[in-house]
Amino acid sequence: MTDIRQRLGLDAGAPPLVALHGIDKVFPGVIANKNVSLEVFPGEIHALLGENGAGKSTLMNVLTGIYQPEAGEIHVGGYARVFTAPQDAIAAGIGMVHQHFKLVKAFTVAENVHLGWADTPARIHRSVLEQRTADLSHKLGLAVDPGATVDDLSTGEQQRVEILRVLSRDAKVLILDEPTAVLTPAEAQELFVALRAFVARGNAVIFISHKLDEVLEIADRITILRQGRKVATEWAEACTERSLAQKMVGREIVLSDMRTRTEGVAGPGAPVLTLDGVTLKGRLTDVSLQLRAGEILGVAGVAGNGQRELCQVLTGLATPDKGRVLLDGDDIAPLGPRKVAALGVGHIPEDRLGSGLAPALSVTDNTVLREYRQPPVSRGPWYMPRAARALAEKIAAIAEVMVPDFAMPVRNLSGGNQQRLVARREMRIASRVLVAAYPSRGLDVGAINTMMRYFTELRDQGVAVVLVSEELEELLNLSDRIAVMFHGQIMGVVEGEQADIDEIGLMMGGQRGPQAEVAA
Amino acid sequence: MRLKLQRLHSAPPWKAFAARVLSVLLALAVTALMMAMAGIDPIDLAAQVLSATFGSSFGLEDLGLLFSPLLFTGLAVAVGLRIGAWNIGAEGQFNIGALCAAGIALFVPGPDWALLPAMIAAGALGGALWILVPTLARAYADVSELITTLLLNFVALLLVYYVATGPWLDPSGRALATTARLPVRLPEVWGIVHWGLPIALGLAVVLAVIFSVTRWGYEVRMAGSNAGSARYAGMPVRRHLIAVMLLSGALAGLGGVMEVAGTVGRLQGGISNNYGYLGIMVAVLARAAPLGVIASAFLMAVILNGGIVMQTQGLTTNTVLAMTGLILLFAAIGDELAHYRLRRLEGRN
Ligand SMILES: Nc1ncnc2c1ncn2[C@@H]1O[C@H](COP(=O)(O)OP(=O)(O)OP(=O)(O)O)[C@@H](O)[C@H]1O
Ligand SMILES: [Mg+2]
Repeated sequence: MTDIRQRLGLDAGAPPLVALHGIDKVFPGVIANKNVSLEVFPGEIHALLGENGAGKSTLMNVLTGIYQPEAGEIHVGGYARVFTAPQDAIAAGIGMVHQHFKLVKAFTVAENVHLGWADTPARIHRSVLEQRTADLSHKLGLAVDPGATVDDLSTGEQQRVEILRVLSRDAKVLILDEPTAVLTPAEAQELFVALRAFVARGNAVIFISHKLDEVLEIADRITILRQGRKVATEWAEACTERSLAQKMVGREIVLSDMRTRTEGVAGPGAPVLTLDGVTLKGRLTDVSLQLRAGEILGVAGVAGNGQRELCQVLTGLATPDKGRVLLDGDDIAPLGPRKVAALGVGHIPEDRLGSGLAPALSVTDNTVLREYRQPPVSRGPWYMPRAARALAEKIAAIAEVMVPDFAMPVRNLSGGNQQRLVARREMRIASRVLVAAYPSRGLDVGAINTMMRYFTELRDQGVAVVLVSEELEELLNLSDRIAVMFHGQIMGVVEGEQADIDEIGLMMGGQRGPQAEVAA
Repeated sequence: MRLKLQRLHSAPPWKAFAARVLSVLLALAVTALMMAMAGIDPIDLAAQVLSATFGSSFGLEDLGLLFSPLLFTGLAVAVGLRIGAWNIGAEGQFNIGALCAAGIALFVPGPDWALLPAMIAAGALGGALWILVPTLARAYADVSELITTLLLNFVALLLVYYVATGPWLDPSGRALATTARLPVRLPEVWGIVHWGLPIALGLAVVLAVIFSVTRWGYEVRMAGSNAGSARYAGMPVRRHLIAVMLLSGALAGLGGVMEVAGTVGRLQGGISNNYGYLGIMVAVLARAAPLGVIASAFLMAVILNGGIVMQTQGLTTNTVLAMTGLILLFAAIGDELAHYRLRRLEGRN
């Protein structure tokens, strides 16, 4: 392995910053990690890849002392260490930013940075904390506003606070679990700049992601897990997206052509859902859109430009202040989310842990969320636990999610598996419309492919699909038409086939394009 | 080889249960130790408490009379917790329930068979009304119910004192600080144990059924666990919150009805006897499960009954309060410890 040290410009005998040797981690009914070994050297960005549920988050939770391995050792700077809590790991210079953020939303940035930190002064004063935070932010090159309340920050800003929190504790190894899943491409680039600066100071980053292009761009070396076992560790330049995907799943992934319809299926048909001049208190302005049966309408735009509100209006979660929302000609604006869902509108929400799932409740309770009101789960006023369980098993099977125990809290599932469950649950009820907000977030390549194929099947059955995404490639691949949002308005709608990335990019920045035709 | 503590993500149920039992035993042991240090033979005292409680039908009947109000207030608090609301005001709702029932019994003429249901209804309604303002404040303005329900306790307590010693004071002049005996009483089922106990037990079972196998129970569970996902599914979160909190108040109020119409027989100041606060402990020990409330309320009743015996031994009631406090403390510690397991590490280092 001298090769690695040479390439990173290290001494021949330099120990890795951290090393895992033969780690086993078992949960009831699941082997999450089996004999995994991993070495991370100073100056390297090491990517960790694998399918949903492959054991990436678990391995990192072992490294940071959240879980204890059944077997194996952790070495830091060449010495064996045992971490019984995350505090031990951070004291040894290993810090992690989790897949789901762990900030206190009601606190300010400065308060969050100082929470549970031995260096926090005993007598805290707002201005002192904010000054310290500002200094840290400057020193570490991560711009934050110390006085801002976390709840008011964008996802990218929240993540910067999380990273600042970890780095301020003198972390030498920074672990990022799917950091870019929730970032805009621009925010991701900013993050990469900060990461490169961090490793240039002799530190290391472990980077988990499902976005292969991004991994190839940022990583020095890449380790791939499959079903809890390590498959390979490779230099990034020796890999291609194809070879990585192949190693992750153990077989070739065939990316299907999504836009062509199956033989005999007609193109977009009659209008199903129409937005007519919808305005929502400063978040949406005069939005008019028409969705036709059997079409996929892509919604492009930088996150935070009204996509969330658009989804809320489409699914009855928000009532517009002005304008109408017509489903098959009837105004559904006043109906509320339950009745709208009952009319056949499914919704894969943006934040699965905030609204799509109740993390502390069982897998069963969460999986039947859309069908608990109807037989067999409900009979009159009764809720049938056994029928619910059976339905949950059925949905989990179609979603290809392995659930060892349906009574366990749904938060114990891997991030991608939670997303798969939500997606399948919603597809089941979407007989007219499916509103999917960033549905591929957290999914592995294979699962994204499967989900997209399923969207096309829904489309071919005559369902209207609204696909909100930041991945232009995904949108171009799938959409019949693409609407571009900016500042709560639709800047224009382009045909998918003739769509031009540059044109869409300009519209995302606020230029008007071809307008949507609105039927009266 | 050496031993190491390991923290589990969620505590397995049997461990959580074992931790509960152990915490109770530990609290008893600490109390025993303190008594021994104060020169009282704890074993002798325990024997006296047990024989006084379980050794005679009188003891058992007394136990039953303590058991019933604790069930009502324990259920009241537990129900609130189901949707994430802390009803600290069971004490006040209990008082108001008693007040309403006494008012009907004293001032409304009519046959017993009509008055009793009216008293029960009035007491439940009174309890619900007493939590109405905190409920609406929580539901519409997100004001924490913790403080509001607590504050109303003092109002209710003083109101009952005032009424019982003022306008409703026994006109015959025989009683100094209570109303006259109520002309209507809750019938007894066994010895001096009245219908309050079987009604409370029945309610615990009914509530357990409601929360586990009704659609409403499912929705409450969802709304209590994550209001965001309940709203997303179109559940009427606010309506459920209001309904559950009013139900909680009504249950506590019912406890007051049974106390005034069954156990005490007249309205007097301090009729709630801290049952409302003890109910918080009962509910927490039961992890807000209605059937668990039966077990923890029973335990609390035994301890309270023991306290009465201890008083005859020259110990103050504070000893009992300290003991309940210890149990809660140990239960909290036990809850945390149930997350850990001891593991042997093989090999060196
Ligand atoms: N606390 C837990 N209890 C039980 N099972 C768990 C727990 N945490 C993880 N698992 C299981 O371990 C396996 C690995 O999960 P992990 O979260 O490590 O996957 P992952 O590689 O991070 O996947 P993803 O890409 O979807 O985030 C999964 O099958 C998961 O259900
Ligand atoms: Mg993960």
